[in-house]
Amino acid sequence: MGIDGGPAPWGRPMRKGTGLALCLALLLLAAGIPGAQAGEVGLSTESLKCLECHGKRGQIHRFQNDEFVEVYLNPAKYKISVHSFLSCSQCHPDFSTEHHPARRFKSRTQYRVKSAAVCRGCHTADQIKAKSVHANLLARESEGATPVCTDCHDAHSVTPVTGGRIIRSETQHCMKCHQYELFLICRNGDKVPLKVEISHSETHAHVKLRCSDCHYGFSSEEHPRRNFRSRRDYTIAASESCRRCHFDKYTKTLDSVHYTMLSQGNLKAPVCNDCHGSHAIPHITRGVKGRTMTTQKCRQCHPEIYAVYAKSVHGNALFNEQNQDVPICIDCHTAHDTENPLTLEYHEKIPQMCGNCHANPAVVSKYGLSTEVLKAYLSDFHGVTLGLYRKQREEGLYKPARPIAVCTDCHGTHNITSAVSSDPAYVKANLVKRCQKCHKDASNNFPDAWLSHYKPSLSKYPFIFIVDTAYKIFIPIMVVGLILQIFLHIWRYAVNR
Amino acid sequence: MRSTGEGMKKGTGADMEKGKKKIRRFSVFRISEHWMVILTSVVLFATGLSQRFWHMESAQWFILKVGGVDNVRWVHRYAGLLFSLALILHVAVATGRVLRLKWSPSMMIRREDFRDAVHNMRYYFGLENHPARCDRYDYMEKFEYWTILVGGVLMTATGAVLWLPTLFTRFLPGEVIPAAKALHSNEALVIFLINAIWHIYNSIFSPEVFPLDTSIFTGYISRERMLREHPIELAAIEGVGLEELLKSGKKETGVVKSGPAPAPGVTG
Repeated sequence: MGIDGGPAPWGRPMRKGTGLALCLALLLLAAGIPGAQAGEVGLSTESLKCLECHGKRGQIHRFQNDEFVEVYLNPAKYKISVHSFLSCSQCHPDFSTEHHPARRFKSRTQYRVKSAAVCRGCHTADQIKAKSVHANLLARESEGATPVCTDCHDAHSVTPVTGGRIIRSETQHCMKCHQYELFLICRNGDKVPLKVEISHSETHAHVKLRCSDCHYGFSSEEHPRRNFRSRRDYTIAASESCRRCHFDKYTKTLDSVHYTMLSQGNLKAPVCNDCHGSHAIPHITRGVKGRTMTTQKCRQCHPEIYAVYAKSVHGNALFNEQNQDVPICIDCHTAHDTENPLTLEYHEKIPQMCGNCHANPAVVSKYGLSTEVLKAYLSDFHGVTLGLYRKQREEGLYKPARPIAVCTDCHGTHNITSAVSSDPAYVKANLVKRCQKCHKDASNNFPDAWLSHYKPSLSKYPFIFIVDTAYKIFIPIMVVGLILQIFLHIWRYAVNR
Repeated sequence: MRSTGEGMKKGTGADMEKGKKKIRRFSVFRISEHWMVILTSVVLFATGLSQRFWHMESAQWFILKVGGVDNVRWVHRYAGLLFSLALILHVAVATGRVLRLKWSPSMMIRREDFRDAVHNMRYYFGLENHPARCDRYDYMEKFEYWTILVGGVLMTATGAVLWLPTLFTRFLPGEVIPAAKALHSNEALVIFLINAIWHIYNSIFSPEVFPLDTSIFTGYISRERMLREHPIELAAIEGVGLEELLKSGKKETGVVKSGPAPAPGVTG
């Protein structure tokens, strides 16, 4: 920044000062200094003399490290600044119309820090602290980070933080400060960066929102002081504001395992911002790119599971074939009301979850997969028991004591491989081990009791097919025969009477 | 057990049986066996069919009332065990008595049973003048008996496989389990339907016996019913020839229509 701040990306001079300007003016009056009307009268002789040189462009002052600064100030702006009643030497005490000592600074930074110290000659720390935004800056002074007033307030056209320019939007007002590397210091010493990274070319989801829509209590007039124990506390508190608009999602999260963890005091549990980010929040997209991005969010906390998933038939298809049909984390675990997957309740839902795709011809038929798998499972021992257990649980009458094998117990969860391409002997060997988890004394023959999702037919399990078919034919004939006999008997009885 | 209402032309059952002789038809052992079958089969049908038709509201209502499918299964298994023991006892007693006490195997299916069935069909259509004349058990009773006996053996065997799948698959292929399931549930339906339609009609709703055929509960049957339904056995009990019995019966009741002689081959 030069001695005279160049025009900011937005804004023109304001007709009226904002609250800050008023505040500064009042401060000056209180200090017994002649009013700001001085600026209207005109510049002091000394100032006019200095401006003869410093009011012209093209002169620079070079520092020892070869950085330089243009020693120019805009006379017009200086004339309307709140400091126009001051003569140059009141801020630059060694200089006068007679004296112009040569100064040497190591760097531009050193120069800025030294020159900012001048402001503190009039504006005491207590006065500055009255604004919470300044209080934070001053708090950092003890750590050696000297706040540089001129970073926000132009050096010569001293106006409020707006720079005396028209603020078209609240966002612009906030960005006046939050474009800089400011930090909020938490009680445990954590630093929360306050610089807001918003690229204006980007169309993020919240582009139409004002800062105060989320930062409740803040406005161009209000800037309450906030105090957080840690940076994590700040993030969690900040996420609370999301529910003001996304109440449906918020209520869902209340049922999630993440919220349960959080309420139990585990602050690592994710909150809205952890997955969605803040400020430049991207739109949710359903394409491969969006779905891949979603898996990356979960990966932040679940890297091991992500690695296993990436190698599975589903993950491989997503990452290497850009396949949109395969499930990503949230298809099974859901995004907001993420349940604890280790509960019996969740376990019971798994067949339906897998069935969402594997019983849907529109999804799996093109891969040559049977859509009968869910039906085959549900009509067999495990499926029936599972269905009844769920019913029992819903009625609250009875709590099943044991888990029933579902899809994932045989096929795996995140590490699902293709059942078609796997070696049958290998599959069977694994199956025996799985069966033995519940059926302790299961032998090698035992897994064959499960018909591998096949419906019995003449080519697959013909004996079972024949038994079923024979009974299907025999039972109706028998019933009709018996009823016919009964009717004949009644008829004969009636005739005889 | 079965006739066509000819004996009902005059008088009512109460009048008829008042001064009539009652004949002992079933021993206490048979009565107990029947009670056993009633109790176990009611439990087995309720707990078994509710599992087979588990998706139906009524089945789910029942399962929840019993306290869940696990309870239903345990009740079913132990009721099945009880039924199986009764079945084994029955077969053992029958075999022993036939072999050692030289009892007549009256439940054995014979050629006459098929002939009687055809005869009755013809009678229903008016092609015969009288119903088939049967021995101690008519062909319809035999049909029910063998349904329960053969069905019971099949149910016991397949039920055991389903109860202890890991044991049976040690020496039998795994496919035995779904095969046993198919047989067990289909055969159960057959037994259930025969009982629900045929046995309940014959012993309750048939106009011959309505409101209830009490012989299996009291052990006694009226001579009049014996004459109608089991004339061959009655003739043997009374030590007279069938012809003679039928003539006297006709005289006594005046209702047995004259007709051809009893089917050939039917003896006392």
